[in-house]
Amino acid sequence: MAADNPIDPIHQFEISKIAEMQIAGIDISFTNSSLFMVFAIAATMTLFILGLSKRSIIPNRMQMLSELSYNFIANMLRDQVGDQGRAYFPFIFSLFMFIFFCNFIGLIPYTFTVTSHLIVTFAFAGLIFLAVTIIGFMKNGLGYLRIFYPSGIPIFLAPLIVPIEIISYLSKPISLSVRLCANMLAGHSILKIFAGFIVMLGFLGFAPLIFLVVLYALETLIAALQAYIFTILTCIYLNDALHPDH
Amino acid sequence: MKFFLKIFIFVLPLSEAYAEGQKSAGLPQMDISTFPSQLFWLIVTFTALYLFMWKFVIPRLSTTIEERKDKISNDINDAENLNSEASKILENYDDKMNSASLESNEIVSSSKATMNEYLDKLKKDNEIKINAMITESEKKIHQQKQQSEQEIKKATIDTIKSIVSKYVETVPSDDEISKKLN
Repeated sequence: MAADNPIDPIHQFEISKIAEMQIAGIDISFTNSSLFMVFAIAATMTLFILGLSKRSIIPNRMQMLSELSYNFIANMLRDQVGDQGRAYFPFIFSLFMFIFFCNFIGLIPYTFTVTSHLIVTFAFAGLIFLAVTIIGFMKNGLGYLRIFYPSGIPIFLAPLIVPIEIISYLSKPISLSVRLCANMLAGHSILKIFAGFIVMLGFLGFAPLIFLVVLYALETLIAALQAYIFTILTCIYLNDALHPDH
Repeated sequence: MKFFLKIFIFVLPLSEAYAEGQKSAGLPQMDISTFPSQLFWLIVTFTALYLFMWKFVIPRLSTTIEERKDKISNDINDAENLNSEASKILENYDDKMNSASLESNEIVSSSKATMNEYLDKLKKDNEIKINAMITESEKKIHQQKQQSEQEIKKATIDTIKSIVSKYVETVPSDDEISKKLN
């Protein structure tokens, strides 16, 4: 149904194999998704290798960029979690850079957006959820269960509040992963649809072209914003695990 | 609007796929067969990135930033030291200026005093000289006056004598005439 439609907006999300691979009968072929994951980490590594090549007191542009991103995430973690969050900084920083570059590389026409696949964002969200839960129980013991019953709530409200809190806690990984994935999916689909309109309308195509330019700027903002939101929510969940009292 | 579009984009291919009997999954996101590969490569690439960040990027960046912070705080300290030194020098300079102006004032006033003294002295000397000259010239004037008075007297007496000798036989003596004249 999709192959013969030239402006199928979903086509860009299809996964095609580049090299067949199997481990114990499980298909782990190197696909276009894998390729763009490699691109994303290659872009991150290039940024930091170039940024760290000189390491001068007065930074050049690349060094400035890498230091800006470092300070941005470090400040975010310090503001949200405090000094105890320092141990998780490498993970948070890698997470942000990975999602950021996946989102941005996906904006280039004819590329693939790794983060538009729910399984990828859910893998991150699930990992974060598990890690946060384990950290919460390790740091607070059974006292971590207090997050399901906030202090200052009358006891007769407990049968109402506790299930709500449990549901909201369990839905965190789902909302976290779906938010990023749906934003990428919807944004890129709309871009594709409007790009198709330009071709279809011929001379009149300038109208959707103008709209596409505006939309593209919006999608650029969303690409950065969603990476930021994903990271800051991770910090907030981590803070809940480290300080369940508030 | 965007929300509806999202729902539309999610639901439309899904329903189509369902209609086609799930033979070709409508949304590539729902194709479970690609999940192991995606997860595997995600783990590989993200682990690589994590190790790179953890072992390579973060230590270097943090030391660079720390070094810069140290350098800046050192520079600020140096600048503060230099600043206090400069203000000390300025104070010193002000002190010296003040004492110098005091000294110069003293010099000016003392030289004024000596000048006045000198002028006064000069004036006094000149006054004395002038007075002396005045008295001398007064004396001279007086002498000349007396002299000319005597001469006039003498001449008068002589004139009177000669006039009187024309009319009278006995010529009066000078003393008589002068007595009469006074």
